[in-house]
Amino acid sequence: MRALFPPWTNTAFRVALFLGVVGAIAALAYLMIYARSPYHTNEHRPVIQPIQFDHRHHVADDGIDCRYCHQTAWSSPSAGIPSTSLCLNCHSQIWNKSPLLDPLRAAYFTGEPIRWRRVHRLPDYVYFDHSIHVAKGVGCESCHGRVDEMPAVEMAAPLSMKWCLDCHRDPTPRIRPREAITQLGWTPSEDPGLLAAKLAIRYQLHTRTSCTTCHR
Amino acid sequence: MPPLNPIDAPEAPAERPLALRGLTLQGRPLALGPGRQWTSVEELRRESPAALPASRPDVELPREVTRRGFLQLLGASTAAAGLEGCWRMPQGTIVPYHDRPVGVTPGEPTHYATTVLRDGLGVGLLVTAYEGRPTKIEGNPEHPASLGATSVYEQGLLRTLYDPLRAREVKERGVPRAPESFEGALRERIGRLLPKKGAGLWFLLEPSSSPLQAELWRRLLAALPEARLASWGPSSDAASHDGTRLAFGRPLAARLDLSKADVVVALDAELLADDVPAARAFADRRVPQGRMNRLYAVEPRLSVTGTMADHRLRLRPSEVGPFALALLAAVAKRAGGAPAELQSALHAQLGAAVAPGFVDAVAADLVLHRGASLVAAGRGQPPAVHAAAHAINALLGNLGVTVTLAEPVLLDPASGMGALAELIRAADAGKVDTLIAACDNPALFAPGDLDVVGSLGRVPFSAYLGAYEDETAQRTTWFVPRAHPMEGWGDARAFDGTASIAQPLLDPLFGGRSIEQLLARCTGELRPVHELLHDFWRTASPSADFELAWKEWLQRGVVPGTAAPAVAAAPDWASIARTLAAAPPAQSGRLEIAFYRDLRLLDGREAHNGWLQELPDPVTKQTWGNAALVGPTTADALGIQSGDVLLLELAGARARLPAYVLPGHADGAVSVALGYGGEDFAQGAPLPGTNVAPLRTVAAPWLSAGLTLTKSGEREELAVTQEHWRMEGRPLAESATLAEYRAGIPGRGTFPEQHGPQPSEYAPIPYPGYAWGMAIDLARCTGCSACVVACASENNTPVVGKEQLIRGREMHWLRLDRYFEGPAEDPSSIAMPVMCVQCEDAPCEYVCPVNATVHSDEGLNEMVYNRCVGTRYCSNNCPYKVRRFNFLDFGYEKDPIEQMLPNPDVTVRSRGVMEKCTYCVQRIERARIATRIEGRLIRDGEIQTACQGACPTRAIAFGTLSDPEAEVSRLHADPRAYFLLHVLGTRPRTAHLARIKNENPALRKA
Repeated sequence: MRALFPPWTNTAFRVALFLGVVGAIAALAYLMIYARSPYHTNEHRPVIQPIQFDHRHHVADDGIDCRYCHQTAWSSPSAGIPSTSLCLNCHSQIWNKSPLLDPLRAAYFTGEPIRWRRVHRLPDYVYFDHSIHVAKGVGCESCHGRVDEMPAVEMAAPLSMKWCLDCHRDPTPRIRPREAITQLGWTPSEDPGLLAAKLAIRYQLHTRTSCTTCHR
Repeated sequence: MPPLNPIDAPEAPAERPLALRGLTLQGRPLALGPGRQWTSVEELRRESPAALPASRPDVELPREVTRRGFLQLLGASTAAAGLEGCWRMPQGTIVPYHDRPVGVTPGEPTHYATTVLRDGLGVGLLVTAYEGRPTKIEGNPEHPASLGATSVYEQGLLRTLYDPLRAREVKERGVPRAPESFEGALRERIGRLLPKKGAGLWFLLEPSSSPLQAELWRRLLAALPEARLASWGPSSDAASHDGTRLAFGRPLAARLDLSKADVVVALDAELLADDVPAARAFADRRVPQGRMNRLYAVEPRLSVTGTMADHRLRLRPSEVGPFALALLAAVAKRAGGAPAELQSALHAQLGAAVAPGFVDAVAADLVLHRGASLVAAGRGQPPAVHAAAHAINALLGNLGVTVTLAEPVLLDPASGMGALAELIRAADAGKVDTLIAACDNPALFAPGDLDVVGSLGRVPFSAYLGAYEDETAQRTTWFVPRAHPMEGWGDARAFDGTASIAQPLLDPLFGGRSIEQLLARCTGELRPVHELLHDFWRTASPSADFELAWKEWLQRGVVPGTAAPAVAAAPDWASIARTLAAAPPAQSGRLEIAFYRDLRLLDGREAHNGWLQELPDPVTKQTWGNAALVGPTTADALGIQSGDVLLLELAGARARLPAYVLPGHADGAVSVALGYGGEDFAQGAPLPGTNVAPLRTVAAPWLSAGLTLTKSGEREELAVTQEHWRMEGRPLAESATLAEYRAGIPGRGTFPEQHGPQPSEYAPIPYPGYAWGMAIDLARCTGCSACVVACASENNTPVVGKEQLIRGREMHWLRLDRYFEGPAEDPSSIAMPVMCVQCEDAPCEYVCPVNATVHSDEGLNEMVYNRCVGTRYCSNNCPYKVRRFNFLDFGYEKDPIEQMLPNPDVTVRSRGVMEKCTYCVQRIERARIATRIEGRLIRDGEIQTACQGACPTRAIAFGTLSDPEAEVSRLHADPRAYFLLHVLGTRPRTAHLARIKNENPALRKA
C-alpha cells in the first residue's frame, strides 16, 4: 500500500511548524515594535498648521521667550495656545498686510477662534501638569526639543509611559536651573552631575511613580 | 377585591431568630455589636440567607457556549485587539480663546459665589468652573444657610443645568414662535390692561424672598394697582406662618437655634434632613465628650430626624396634634405659671392624652431644661400644632433663646393653597383675563379639589414660565422657557434675612428667562436684570464706595449686616386657647394618609434630574419613584407586601401606586411622597412614580382620614437599593447609649478590640510621607445623602436608570447603609456611609491579574482605569462591597450639552471597567502640586473630599494620619473609633465612630 504522505511532507511539515512559531513571535514582536515606533507615536512628523507659523523665526530670529505665548505653563496644567488677540499684539503693527496672515486677521475680525492642529496629545486618562514640571526645573526643551529649529513643530519625544517613567525614576539628567527653563540649547556651565545633585536638593525633587500621579 | 379593613389588626408576629446570627471567622464572631441589624422587613422575616436576593449585581452568564465557540471568540477578539496597532495615535485640534478673558487660566478652575432659592429662601453656594463651565457645586462657608455645606437639592442642580431636554422654544398654543414675540404679546396685553389699572391681571409665582422681586412687585402694583400677585408652592411651609399668626397675632418667621437646645422635640418635623444650619448645630451637640443634647421625635413616618432620635414615638398623623396638646398640658402643669385662659382650655385635654408615659417623661425633661429646650412642628402638621409648639416654648422660656422670632423673609409668607384656590375661583368667575405663572407645575401638583386644568381654559391669555414643557405648559396660551438658577442675575434672603446676590455662571444655554426678567418686562422695564439689580442695591444701600462694596458682595456671596433683627412678640394666650379648644381630635377607626415632601425632588421640580431620581431615599432607600408607605402591622393585617400595587381612594380621588412596608411607620396610616408622576413631554414618556396631589385638598393638604386601600392584584418591582451590597447580617454600624459608653464597656461605644495590629504574612510597609485617612462619625451622620450626590458630581459616576438599578448595577461609589435594630414595628435605626476604606492590606489588590488596582506610597488603594480589563475579581474579593463595575456604557457621550457636565479632572470610565472611591485623589494631586510649587506641606483641612465638603454635619474628616495633630488622627484615636471588619486584617484607613444615644432613663426600654 502506498504511503498516504510521501517523505517530503516531513520536511514541509517541519518548515511549516518553524514558520508558524517564528511567524507568531514575529507578528507579536512587530506589533510591539510598531506601537513604540515613531510611525505610531507621530514623533518627528511636522504638523502643518492652518497659518504657517514658524517657531524658527519667532524664537531664534526674534528671540521671543516661550513665556510670551505659553505663560500658563508656569501656573496651570496646560501650557496654553495663545489667543488670537495675543498674535495681534505684534501683528497689528508688523506684517499687518502680509497675505500669509490673512487667516489670522480674518479670525480676529470675525471672532471665530483659530483651529490649530494638535501636535502633542495625551490620552484622556493621563493628567499631565506643566506647572509642577516647570517649578522643578524641567526645561521646555527636555520634552519639546529644539523648537527654535523647527519650521513646523513636531513631537521630539514619544510621550509614552516608559518615557515619562524614565525621568520620574531618575530626573537628575533633565534638571536645569529655573532661570534656564526656556533656554533652548542650554548646556551646564559646571559639572553636570554636581549641578544636578545641587538642583535636586534646592528644588526638593521628589518624583513619584504611583499610578494616581498621572491616572485618576 | 373589597377594600381592606385595617382596624382589626392581629397581634404583631413574633420576631424569628435568624440563621445569620453567630457568623464567625477563625472562631471569632463577626458580629460585634449589640444586636442583629437588618435592612428590610423582608430580610428580617426570612428564614435563611439563601432566600434573599443576590447582594451583588446580577450578571447574565452566556448560555450554551461550547468550548469550540469560546475559543473562536477568543481568537477573534485577540486578532481584533492586534488591529488596534494598525493606525496612528489620533490627533485633533486645539481651539484657543479669541481673546482670553481676564482671570481665566485654561486648566485652572475658578470659583464663584452665587445664591439659589430653596423654598424661596437663599442658600449661598460656591461654584467651580473650568473656562466658564460650571462643574461642581459646594456650599459657601460665609453664608448662614450653607455654612460651607449643601443639601442634596443644591448638589443636584448641575445635572438640570446640562439637561438637554430642558425646554428651548417659546411656544404659543404649542406652536414655536420667535423668542421676542412673547415680549411683544406681553407688552400689548399689559398696555390694554393699563386703563383698567390691571384688573384681571394675575401673577402666580413660586415663593421668593428676593429684594429685587419685591421692588418689581412694588413698581408693578404702582402702575397696575388692581393686579394680583400671589405665590404658591405645592409643598410650601404655610402652616408654620399660620401657626405664628395664631400664637403671636401676626405671621412671623420662627428661627430655631439647636446649638442652645439640650432637649429637642420634633413634632412630625424634618429638622435635620436638608436644613444645614439646624443639622450642623444639632450634630455639634452629639459628641459624648461634650454636653449631649437629646432628641425626641413624634411622627407617623420614620423620617431622617426620626432615625437620629434618642426616643421616637410613632403616632398616626392625626394623633400628633393631640400629643402636642397633651405635652402642652403636662408642661403647663409641671412648669406652672400658665395663664388662666390656657389652663381652662387644656383642662379637657389632660384626660385624653396619647401615650401618657411618653408625654410625662418628655414634659419632665423639657421642664428640667427650661430655657434650653425646643419644640418644633413640621410643615405637614396643621397650624394648631405649630401654635401648641410655640405655647410650649413660651411656657418654658425658650423664646428668644432657642426660638427667635423675626419678620417673615418671604415676600408672601402665606404661599399656601389659599392663594391658588382664590385664583381658581376668580378664573372660574371669568375675572382672570391675563395670568402669568412661574411656579411648579400647578396643572399637575394642585390639590384634587381645584380644577386648574379647566380653569386655565377659561383664561384668555395665560403665560407659563417653566424649565420643562410640562402639564401646565400644555394648557397655557404661551409657554416661555425658564432660565436655570445658574443662568441669571438675582438676589435672595436667607432664613435669617441675610441678603446675597445670585450671579450667573453662564449665559442661558437654551435662551431661558428668569422671573425677575419677566416681571421687569411687565413693568415696561427693558434694561437687563443685571443693571436693575445693581441700581436697586445702589439705591437700597447708598454709599460712596458702592462699587467696591458690590464687588465684595459678589466675591463673598453675602451682603454683610443684612440679617433681620429678632422681634419680641408676646404669645396671644387667648388666641392660643381658642385654637387649642377648636383643634381636631385624633381620628379613630379610619385609615389615615399623610403626604410628605420628598427630600430629593422637593415639590417635583427635580423630577427630570437623574442624579436625584437615582439617589436612594435616606430612609426607604427607594429610587425612581414613590410608594405608599405602610407599617408592618397594618401591612400584615391587610395582607400587603412591598411591591403590591394598591389603589388609594380618598373622597372620590384615586391614585394607584405600589406599597412599601416601612419599619417604624405608624399603624393605621399610609404616607406618600409628593412631587412624583406626570409626563416627560420632551420624550413622550411618563416620569417615574405616581402623582398623589389629586388626593390632597385645599383644606387638608397634608393629612386626611378615611382612605380606602384596595389591592389591585398586580405587582410592581420597586427600585430599592437596601438589599444591594448588603453586609450579610453583620452589625457593622455600631451604637451604644451614653451610659454604656461612659461605663467603658468594650464593644458598647468603646472598641479596644477593633483596633491594633492583626496577624499578617506580609511585612509591614512604612509610609514616610502623607498617610491619607478618613474618619466618619456616625454620631453626626444623619444619612441625608448629600455626600452621595456630591460624589457622583465630583467623580463622574453615571446614572444607570431604573431597570439597571433593579439589577443591582447602581454606580454610587459611596453608599449609605441604613440598618434597623429591634422589632419591625418600632425599630431603632442608624445610617452608615460606606465607601472604599483604602485597606492597607487590600484583598482586591492580590487578585487583580493586570495590576489595575495597586497601592500607592501614601496608602491609597489606587484604581487604574486604563489598565482594567474587567475581570471583576477585585469586586468579588472586596469584603466591603464598594467596587462598582460599568456593565454598560452609562457615560455622558450622548449629547454635546451633557458632555459639559463631567469633572475634567477625573477620567470618564467606559464599559467593562471597574471603579471605586479613591479619596478624591484628583483633589489630593491638585493640592500636592500647588503646595510643592510653594515649597510647603499640605495643611490639615486643605484638602476636602467631595463627600466631606457637602456634609451638613461635618461627619466626615479627611487628612493625613502622619500628622498627629490632624483632625483625622484625633478621631482615629477616639475611643468610639472602630474599623469595619477589623478581624479580617485588612487594616482600613477609614475609621467609623460609633453613634452614642442619649437615652432618657425614664423611657429606657426593658
